[in-house]
Amino acid sequence: MLDINISNKYKNGFSLGVSFCIKENSYNIMLGPSGSGKSLTLKAISGFEKIYGGYVRLKKRDISNLAPEKRNIVYLPQNLGLFPHLRVKEQLYFPFKARGISIDESIISMIVKEFNIVHLMERFPNELSGGEGQRVALARSLVARPDVLLLDEPLTGLDFHLKMKLIKFLKNIKNRFSLTIIHVTHDPIEAVYLGEEIFIIQDGRIIFSGALDQLWTCKANGFVQGIRQELKELGKIITTP
Amino acid sequence: MDQGILRKGAIIISTITLFFIIVPILHIFIKLSAKSLIATILDKTVWTSIFVSIGCSICATLLGCVMGIPFAYFLSKNRFRGRAILESVINLPVAIPHVAVGIALLSLFNDRTVVGSFFNLFHISFVDTVYGITIAMLFVSISFVISSALVGFDSIEQEIEMVSRTLGASSSYTFFHITFPLAFPSILRGAVLAFARSISEVGAILIIAYYPKTAPVLMYERFEEYGLSAARPVSALVIFLCVLIFFLLLYLSRHYARH
Repeated sequence: MLDINISNKYKNGFSLGVSFCIKENSYNIMLGPSGSGKSLTLKAISGFEKIYGGYVRLKKRDISNLAPEKRNIVYLPQNLGLFPHLRVKEQLYFPFKARGISIDESIISMIVKEFNIVHLMERFPNELSGGEGQRVALARSLVARPDVLLLDEPLTGLDFHLKMKLIKFLKNIKNRFSLTIIHVTHDPIEAVYLGEEIFIIQDGRIIFSGALDQLWTCKANGFVQGIRQELKELGKIITTP
Repeated sequence: MDQGILRKGAIIISTITLFFIIVPILHIFIKLSAKSLIATILDKTVWTSIFVSIGCSICATLLGCVMGIPFAYFLSKNRFRGRAILESVINLPVAIPHVAVGIALLSLFNDRTVVGSFFNLFHISFVDTVYGITIAMLFVSISFVISSALVGFDSIEQEIEMVSRTLGASSSYTFFHITFPLAFPSILRGAVLAFARSISEVGAILIIAYYPKTAPVLMYERFEEYGLSAARPVSALVIFLCVLIFFLLLYLSRHYARH
């Protein structure tokens, strides 16, 4: 569904060379340390980073030179990107107004019920709790009916309880709305819980791609071995009575 | 113990500072006689000068916004070599003595220069006209608009604009519906300060456009010709109106920022 082949070199010496495919209706985790090129890849997919060599194809159509608003790929940053001056209701109307199309109240009311944010409609973002803000931001993204949803470290900095709640929620909405998600993180635990397909990125290169069970059996470099080790140790802790 | 001394010291210094600002202003009103104030209120020349001041200040502030906001936006969104120098240049009008500003403007915009001749084609002359007053006010106040707008634009997280774009908004829709409304409280504060700076300008205006007289020029003239007692009632009236307008604008900008 989404074919990515990017080969970019930057003035600071960093080079991004990633090539991978994203299947429709799949939850993809892009895992890597900070500075590995995860966010740069997301920016290139969403249209905020120029692609010097390569392409981004969505449903076989080359979108490399399209403006971000024409790609139908929604980006959700770690800080949620809620517009501070708009009420929740207005945040949900935004994708319609921005595109100059009439507001589809039926979609909004369905999503609002599904996300349990009916009671938040008149509130401003600064009047929402962390979890409420996450739900509103995700609801707004879905109202836009994107082909692909890009989540940039959406669970970073949340406490354990909220993180686990949101993991369940993300899994649920992915299935409920048949979403194609690329979720960037540096936390292997998120990959374990959510990743149907995992891409490990290091120094601007994809060094592993596949399902979680393949991660245990593949040939691995030091970084992947480190992730395996972390997950094994975590498994031991969890299974220890 | 130390903290207590610091706190008391800070209170004393703050009180002295506050008195330093308020007392001279109040003193003008204390020394004022009712008779002279009434005479000033009935003086047509005084009101003409006040209207010239307010009108030109509004024009200078609006022009400052039209020129300064896009410039601040450009500076905020672009990183390039020489950006720091540009940021310093913005504040130059604050650093230059205002009489020198007047001389510089007069030498550039007088009717005998290329620039002056160009504007003459549109029947605009800057010497001793409201255009001259406006341009002098614009020069000394534009820094406030640019600096405040820059702070406003810089305070907006880039991700917010990115989200707006991926939700289907063009860059211009994003600017007018997200970026500008979020930066507006800062821009408004800058505009209020620019207006205040414009209405109080005298040095540059004396050089480039003595006529039509603005309120500060009239005050200066009365002081020069008739002394302190003649200048005081005009000053009191102008201060009263300036303070009224300034606090009204400040209240409106804070009210907007809160909501």
